[in-house]
Amino acid sequence: MLKTLIRRELLNNFMTFRFAAVLLITLLLVVANTVVLIQDYEQRLESYNDAVRTHYQELRAAKTYSTMAILVDRAPNPLSIFNVGLDKRLGNLVGIYHGFMPTLWNAEMHGTDNPFIAFFSSIDIVFVFEVILSLMGLIFAYDAIAGERERGTLRLVLAQPVRRVHILVAKYISAMACLLVPLILSLLFALLLLTRSIPLSTADFLRIAGIVFTSFAYLSLFYLIGLLISVATRRTGTALMLAMFVWGFLILVYPNLIRATVNPGGDIQARTKIVENRIQQILDEYERERQKFLEKEGIAGEASEFSKALGLHSYAFVHPVTLMSYVENISLISEIHPEFEKYVPSGKRYYDFVEPLAMRTVEKTWHIRKQALDEIYVRQAATDRVLLKLSPVGVYDSATQAWAGTDLEGVRDFFHAARRYRKAVIDYLYAKEAFSSREWFIADKAAVDWSTLPQFTFERSNVGTNAKRALPDLFLLLISNLVLFMAIVLIFIKSEV
Amino acid sequence: MIWHITKRELYDNLISLRFALATFLLFGLMLTNAVVHLREHPERMQKYHDGVTAAQNELRTRTHLYDIGVQGPGSLYKKPSLLQFCAEGGDIFLTDSVYGGFLHWADGNLRGFWSTIYHYGNPDSKNIRPDTIKVDWGFVIGYVLSLIAILFTFDSISGDREHGTLRLTLANAIPRHTVLIGKFLGALISISVPFTLAVLANLLIISTSSDVQLNTDAWSRLAIIFCIAILYLCLFLALGLLVSSLVQRNAASLVILLLTWVVFVVFMPSTLASVTSGFSKPMGFYEYRQRLSKLHDQLKGEYWTRVQNMDALPTKKMELSGEFVMNDVAQRVRLGQEYVSQQHAQIQLMRSVTRISPVAIVQHLFESFAGTGFERHRHFVENVQHYEREYREFVLDMDRSDPDSPHIIGVREGMSQKPVNPESVPMFEDTLSLSHDFNAAAIDLFLLVLFLVVLLSGAYLAFVRIDV
Repeated sequence: MLKTLIRRELLNNFMTFRFAAVLLITLLLVVANTVVLIQDYEQRLESYNDAVRTHYQELRAAKTYSTMAILVDRAPNPLSIFNVGLDKRLGNLVGIYHGFMPTLWNAEMHGTDNPFIAFFSSIDIVFVFEVILSLMGLIFAYDAIAGERERGTLRLVLAQPVRRVHILVAKYISAMACLLVPLILSLLFALLLLTRSIPLSTADFLRIAGIVFTSFAYLSLFYLIGLLISVATRRTGTALMLAMFVWGFLILVYPNLIRATVNPGGDIQARTKIVENRIQQILDEYERERQKFLEKEGIAGEASEFSKALGLHSYAFVHPVTLMSYVENISLISEIHPEFEKYVPSGKRYYDFVEPLAMRTVEKTWHIRKQALDEIYVRQAATDRVLLKLSPVGVYDSATQAWAGTDLEGVRDFFHAARRYRKAVIDYLYAKEAFSSREWFIADKAAVDWSTLPQFTFERSNVGTNAKRALPDLFLLLISNLVLFMAIVLIFIKSEV
Repeated sequence: MIWHITKRELYDNLISLRFALATFLLFGLMLTNAVVHLREHPERMQKYHDGVTAAQNELRTRTHLYDIGVQGPGSLYKKPSLLQFCAEGGDIFLTDSVYGGFLHWADGNLRGFWSTIYHYGNPDSKNIRPDTIKVDWGFVIGYVLSLIAILFTFDSISGDREHGTLRLTLANAIPRHTVLIGKFLGALISISVPFTLAVLANLLIISTSSDVQLNTDAWSRLAIIFCIAILYLCLFLALGLLVSSLVQRNAASLVILLLTWVVFVVFMPSTLASVTSGFSKPMGFYEYRQRLSKLHDQLKGEYWTRVQNMDALPTKKMELSGEFVMNDVAQRVRLGQEYVSQQHAQIQLMRSVTRISPVAIVQHLFESFAGTGFERHRHFVENVQHYEREYREFVLDMDRSDPDSPHIIGVREGMSQKPVNPESVPMFEDTLSLSHDFNAAAIDLFLLVLFLVVLLSGAYLAFVRIDV
């Protein structure tokens, strides 16, 4: 009996105008956008490759250790085509230096970064699905029960020995089968275009499978919302209007409204100011110790002479917004004047003392800063995300971002790697005894050999991690599906025909 | 007769569910908009006034002409618009000031002369919050009102045809265009009544607050914006009528309309913008900085070789220094303008292409009349550039008018030593003018009217030709 019902529903759904129209539009939008997005990705990749090349050359050009300029670049994520997330917006280039801690707030951009581009909302495949799939689900569902009730066919069907739940199940299965056609077909086209120009690994395919499954849950959720409306109303006209306004509210109004109404948490400036002062104290202490050392060396009196001989520039400051503490001691000379040769041993001792001190200072400020950044910026973003999750769009968006690895966590992975790399560079410098060497600030004996410096590598987190990050949201989607379905069954069983 | 049909449509609409839902939605959005504006606007104005006062006070402390030339006038601030609630115009992505008090470099006794810095990188690149559209009038009208227009008209002809009432109506001696106009007016009135009320409630809240004072100029701008909103509403009503008369069934009409709406309103602007952004590759901030320092180093290298090759004649050396400083600032200004104009050109192209979408047109129009957004920002940058020239001219003039000065600009000893009256230094003031905005909006207005005429005549032709 269920089979007969499903067959009837399938025929009903497939032979409709709306099915053809929706299929056509989905294909059109997904394919057109995929082409655009691939182009965009390739441009970003090119800019990344250029950046890596020039940064390598820049590093090789540094003749002394103290003038080294290590810059690491973040490659664009190929899955940003599915959900761009924060991949394109946040900085993709950060310096590695023992005198400061790299975070995403200090990152810069290689390639073009026209700030006005933000006028135009960015687009990706998930955005197309967000809008189209939800609309599709509702359009297919609004008259599923209300329509039959209006035409009187519901009464006919129920006159047969059919269980009411079976009717719902048949409707659900057949509609989903029908709705999956545009989803799967458009994704196939997109994948076809993708694999032709971008090599994807097996892990990427698994991530895409995760995105597809999440899309499926999202689509089903909207079909069930439509079905709920259809079960609860008597007339198709009413059901349609309700469905459309619910759609407008959930997709269009709610996500934008909630950001406007919720006040960003407290006075950011006041909070950063407190942390800034604390960091400044640590930096002051560093400066005091540095001066004390200069005194002990007996060169405090002729400090300016010493600095001039070494071409020494010494800074220690904290940035008021990003709370970055930056401690730099740099010798802007590559050769030393013979009459200044007497300062070389002091210079060696100076750097041997001050650079480890700078590193310790930075480590100390990092503990404070890390906590402050989390409290001031990350928590705020997390609150926004939670509020957005009251609409299925928010859940879907963050789940797919997690799968694609373009969410905040995914981008922060890169900066974790950058910090690990900083550690590796420091270890390398220690191993080479670079701080106390002549090559730290003078290049006349031998220029620094950079070829043995460890290379920076960054691998996106593995699929398991992606899945772990996406799972709570996916679970939320599935649970809401289940709850809605149970609600529908309850209402339908109790309703009069 | 038209009135008769309009009245019938009105009665039909007024008691319908969609009317209630639309009213509720419009009121909710407009009230939120007003409340948010009242919360944010005083902060914005405060920030602007504080910034301007700080910059002016700083400027007043300088009396030496050289310091005025090197340190500049302090940051220059963009005057916030009173009507930011109409069109937010992506202002959160833009800097509200240009850096004016910035020491570019220092080398021995020499200092880089002042020039403006337009952007300090991309402010959005540190923003980790999810991106959303701001709920301003542009959003309420561009997205929500157009969707409501479609939901009100999709069944206006096809529904009548399904019920058979169209045949009844046309059996009377009524010309068809009368029926069409009646339906159009009915829908227009039944949407514009709640919309107008919502707008009035919004304005009432905003104008009763003591923090925001709307002047006559603002009210006339609001009136223009309201008229554009009604024009835009008509556009979508005409589209609804067109599709509704072409299609036999309600469901088909709705599906076509919704998909058209989604394509033109939701996807078209971002997709087209994305396509056109690939056409040009403006200089990035990083590249800009690299080029800037390379140019500076080159000039500095030339300067040092020339100074070292010469027997140290103090005045000659001073002249060379002055020349170096002035050449440096000139090339810095040139590069900065190139950097900004490349970015502007890219956006200009993106904006012209997105005009295919009516929602982009209407948002451009709102931005022009509310005095926000990209065009406004460009105007601000032009003001700044104009002021920058004026300021530099002032320094030169002051020096020229002092007969004791050696007239070597760019070196402390080479310039006039007479104290400058701080009151005489030109101040920056950001201006807004309605006529400028009209010019910027002319094309958009023309396109909007053109679309409307095409759709209206399309709807007329389609309705006249249908079989009942």
